Amino acid sequence: MNEKPYKKDNRKGLLLSIVLVFCILGTFVYTISRKISQEMSDAAIQSLSESLDLIECTIEAILRSEVEFQTLIAQKIAQTEDPEAYIQAYEKNQTMSRISLILSGKTSGVSNTGEHFTAEDLDFSAGGTIMGLPVSQSYINHMGTWSYTVKCPIMRNGQEIGTLYAEYIYDAIDKSLPEGFYNQQATLYIMDTESERFVLKPEGMGMRSAGHLNLTDFYRANSIQDPNIHAEVEECLENGQDILFYHDIRGVKALNYMWAVNDGTIFLAGYVPLEAIQREGRIVTYNIIAVVASMLVAFLLCIYLYYRNWRQQDKLREEQELERKIHSQQLSEALRAAQIASESKTTFLSNMSHDIRTPMNAVLGFTTLLARDADNPAKVREYTKKITSSGQHLLSLINDILDVSKIESGKVVLNLEKFSLNDVVASVDAIIQPMAKAKRQSFHLEVNGVRHEYLLGDETRINQILINLLSNAVKYTPEEGHIWFRIIGLKQRSSQYERIRIEVEDDGYGMTPEYLETIFDAFTRAENSTTNKVQGTGLGMAITKSIVELMGGTIEVRSEVNQGSLFLVELELRILEEHADRKFWENRGIRRVLAIIGDQECRENVRALVTGGGLEADMAASLEEALDLLAGSRDFQLVLLDWEAFSGVQAASAIRAATPAPILLLAEYDAEGTEAVLETGRTGVLAKPFFLSAFRQKVEELWSGGEPEPLQDTSLEGLRFLAAEDNDINAEILAELLSMEGADCEIVENGRLAVERFQQSAEGEFDAILMDVQMPVMNGHDAARAIRALPRDDAGSIPIIAMTANAFTEDEKASLDAGMSAHVAKPLDLGLLKKVIRQCRKDAL
Amino acid sequence: MMKVKRFSQRCSAVCLTILAVLSLTSCGKERRANLLTQDDRVQRTVNLFSPMEKTDPNAENTARSAADLTVAMAEEKLGVTVAYRTYTAEDYQDKSYDDVVLDRARSNMDDLYLLNSDVILKLGAEGKLVDLSGIDNAENLRDIIWTANTVDGKLVAIPQEVVAYGLFVNKDMFDQYGLALPETPEEFLECCRVFRENGIETPIGANRWWLETFVLALAYADLYNGGNTEAEIAALNSGEARYSDYMRPGFAFLKNLMDRGYIDAEKASVSEAIEAEGADFLAQKTPIVMAYWGAANTETAYGKTDFEMQVIGFPSSRGQMPVITMTGLAVGAEAEHREDALQVLNVMLSDEALQVYSEINRVISPSKNVKVDCVPALKPLNDRIEEGVYVLGSNAGMKVEQWGSTCLIVRELLAGAAVEECMAAFDRLQDEALAK
Repeated sequence: MNEKPYKKDNRKGLLLSIVLVFCILGTFVYTISRKISQEMSDAAIQSLSESLDLIECTIEAILRSEVEFQTLIAQKIAQTEDPEAYIQAYEKNQTMSRISLILSGKTSGVSNTGEHFTAEDLDFSAGGTIMGLPVSQSYINHMGTWSYTVKCPIMRNGQEIGTLYAEYIYDAIDKSLPEGFYNQQATLYIMDTESERFVLKPEGMGMRSAGHLNLTDFYRANSIQDPNIHAEVEECLENGQDILFYHDIRGVKALNYMWAVNDGTIFLAGYVPLEAIQREGRIVTYNIIAVVASMLVAFLLCIYLYYRNWRQQDKLREEQELERKIHSQQLSEALRAAQIASESKTTFLSNMSHDIRTPMNAVLGFTTLLARDADNPAKVREYTKKITSSGQHLLSLINDILDVSKIESGKVVLNLEKFSLNDVVASVDAIIQPMAKAKRQSFHLEVNGVRHEYLLGDETRINQILINLLSNAVKYTPEEGHIWFRIIGLKQRSSQYERIRIEVEDDGYGMTPEYLETIFDAFTRAENSTTNKVQGTGLGMAITKSIVELMGGTIEVRSEVNQGSLFLVELELRILEEHADRKFWENRGIRRVLAIIGDQECRENVRALVTGGGLEADMAASLEEALDLLAGSRDFQLVLLDWEAFSGVQAASAIRAATPAPILLLAEYDAEGTEAVLETGRTGVLAKPFFLSAFRQKVEELWSGGEPEPLQDTSLEGLRFLAAEDNDINAEILAELLSMEGADCEIVENGRLAVERFQQSAEGEFDAILMDVQMPVMNGHDAARAIRALPRDDAGSIPIIAMTANAFTEDEKASLDAGMSAHVAKPLDLGLLKKVIRQCRKDAL
Repeated sequence: MMKVKRFSQRCSAVCLTILAVLSLTSCGKERRANLLTQDDRVQRTVNLFSPMEKTDPNAENTARSAADLTVAMAEEKLGVTVAYRTYTAEDYQDKSYDDVVLDRARSNMDDLYLLNSDVILKLGAEGKLVDLSGIDNAENLRDIIWTANTVDGKLVAIPQEVVAYGLFVNKDMFDQYGLALPETPEEFLECCRVFRENGIETPIGANRWWLETFVLALAYADLYNGGNTEAEIAALNSGEARYSDYMRPGFAFLKNLMDRGYIDAEKASVSEAIEAEGADFLAQKTPIVMAYWGAANTETAYGKTDFEMQVIGFPSSRGQMPVITMTGLAVGAEAEHREDALQVLNVMLSDEALQVYSEINRVISPSKNVKVDCVPALKPLNDRIEEGVYVLGSNAGMKVEQWGSTCLIVRELLAGAAVEECMAAFDRLQDEALAK
């Protein structure tokens, strides 16, 4: 419980640690950046100073060399006889745009350009000098460019004979300067100090917006309006000092400068954006930022990955907790279910105890009475009848319990085989009709829309379903009630499967809604004053539902108390190829059939069935219509007559008079009065509803003369059996039963003895071997294998019949696999045993 | 959730990969012994002398002018650098731009020059300018360009725009007094009279620069539009015809306007262009001023008025007459980088460059192939020019410079000189020119 607050504290701590690390990192980076920035600023100032110094020195060197050259010329002139002629002959060159001479005592002189020269326009008042020689203010010369003039006295023998004026243009300086500096981002002008005019913009060092005219223009263009700066600049200009100051130029931090050249006669004026100076610094800054950013990203990534991992673990933990919860919930549910099941089974056992004890009590009670009244044959018969009844009830109880147990443990396996729906209906009808009749109930059987008769399925289990439902209907319907059994063909979902709905309806007691909810649960039984007379295990419906679902079908029930119940079972069964045996009809010369049936639906069913069998069919709804058809040109080889619809005998007679063709009466199972018609010959009865196989069988009977196959003799008279049975009582019963049938039986106690006895016997001494399965020494299966393996002619053919309390399908399969011929479940049903023995002997022959 | 998870996983993977690559590439560069980057491109430079400094191409916050853009196109196409050299006079005592450019061109200081019409004439006559008729884009030029810039049979300069002068009139005021826009001097006088009668003392706003346009329109309406232009100019250049004979009607008309008080001569003689008369015109106190084409596009001039403004030609015997003048780009005959300068000029005068120039400045292009829509107010003036009806304010083919000379002589008229005194000044100029 304390885990979550702990986790939260833990997270807070982690978060604080992260923030702390960030703060420390931030402070560290900030400090470093500040330091770097300061150092970079210092470096920028130093760098710019050095650059400007360099330019200053360059310009000063040019000025000096110009003046030195001029001095040399002055000396040269001093030595010439005609100085003016020398000047006039002096060629114009790149260094000096003009050279002029005014001799002492004159106000004008000559120039090498050939013009008359006066010094009136030259202004030396500012007092600037280069190497001691006066330099004029800058002016636009005759070439249209800014220039200055340096005057130099011409001395001859210590006397000044004149003055040499040499004009220099600033463009000459430009040629010695670099083409821009600081990646051409610096702005630089050469300013004449006295006039504050910008006299040269060296190539690559200026731009339109820089203010190119004079210092005022420069201030205006670059918004340098601070009077303090102006004052400081003025002071520096006056004193010929350098000045460097920060001022933003169009929003960019820049270093502005006024750099004195030649003791301040001219200044370098301009600015450099700090970015341009600190280009490498900027790169360093960017790199630092990049490194910090990378570290930050990496750090955040690590945190993210850590967080994600944490979240995943959290999630995993939560999932595990959830799983544990679900698991424990499931366990508790399972426990509760088990408890309920246990309670249910306890209740069931209690019920069973009661249900088993009741017939057992009857058995034991009647055996006591039997012992007492052994001399009274009438009572003995009555007691034995009741004992038999109680025994049978006990047996059905045990069978159901075993069935449920098998279904619940998932051991039920469907035994899929070809079967005929006709056989199913016939066998169910044969079982239920007598039961219904016994309770004077009317039992209606209908088959509609079923397209295929031969299907693949577990016939036994289908029978079980039908009998369960129908016997329930009979059970829970009072006398004189009605029961409907319908088999309806539904629309196929696949051409390979027949979809049928089985409806079992009654107008009996019905069920309460509460009971309906649990009807399909095992170990429940409707208990009320009306039905408690009814005996049963209460497992039937659960078994039925399980089987239906095992077959992939559905079952549902609708019921109302005192109104009746309707069970609906839907099944899909694989269709087996029906071998349309056209030759069957051809061999008998049958092509066309006349069916005289009153009910429309029934008529259509019969038409579909008959035409489906490969015959042509004419249908008549009335006797008159039938007679007309018979009188017509068509030749009918067979007539089907609905017995109930056309009140029998007269109709049959009329038809018999009209046609010699055989007549099949379509009649209910319990139809009466057909005997009279049957006597007329070439007439048979076909139970409604019928399938093609039944129809064919009946036709075969008619054509073969109507003689049914004689019943084979099922008596065991004179037969001799070898029986292996370890239980004395069972052995005695068996011996008695067989002797009652006139058969002889020799009993041995186990499988080995049976093998030995058979080995010793003469061939044909025994007609069959009856073999218990569970026996000491050697069980039935091993014994059967041993017998079959014996080197005798009859070892392979002698019928070996398993008689065992192991009554399941797999038991039967195991017996057959061991080489036995058949399998009969205990308790022994003598009729069944006789039938099996007869079949086995027949097969052996 | 799964997608988000996958996305975040991918992002993490990509980030880590980038970090790894960055850290690896930082150590993997090949080292060379020479630390300098070798730039084997030979730097070609062309020097352009003009009144303007170059705009820094890297300056992001400064819009480059139309001319700058055409220079940049040339630099990009030719791989040359055009270096601007400039001069701006600080005050009247300074040498003027024209003086300086004359000196510079004569001294071969630069390669490419931006010249006013009188300088073109002077330098052309001195043979200091290259004949530009051979450059490729010269063939796109309108005839007017050839006419105005040909000296001694050589095309010595080419402008990037044609500057047309006209009368800017307040149409609302003309409508108010039921006046049609004047075509002839007589109609113009009548309009002025009506305005005067309606209390507008000085119907014409004037300055000391542009009154010459009235004179030139009247003087040369027939010369340029009479179909005998070359012969008449030849006669003037030979001295057979006198400039004074052409100029007299214009000066007489101007004198008339001044005498009647339609122009305030005293005020005009001391007024700078637009500065003085502009305010009254915009305030609708003066219905007529004169100005150049661009003034109609510029908000600081007459680009935005509260009334309907129209720009028409000056009154003349041939109707409304635009007066056209132009500055020109020229190449020094002995320029150091003459060939490069010619190539640069060729690109600057290409249709592509002139299209850019004209679109930005909304002016008439010298190229026949470049057309730019003008503002509605300029339509009357533009229509006349498109019809081919105009006079040239400057013509390099005339030996007597017109634009500057006329301006100066008109100032004498404003100062009170008689018309005949002004004509004598023209005769003097003609004689001097003929004497050269």
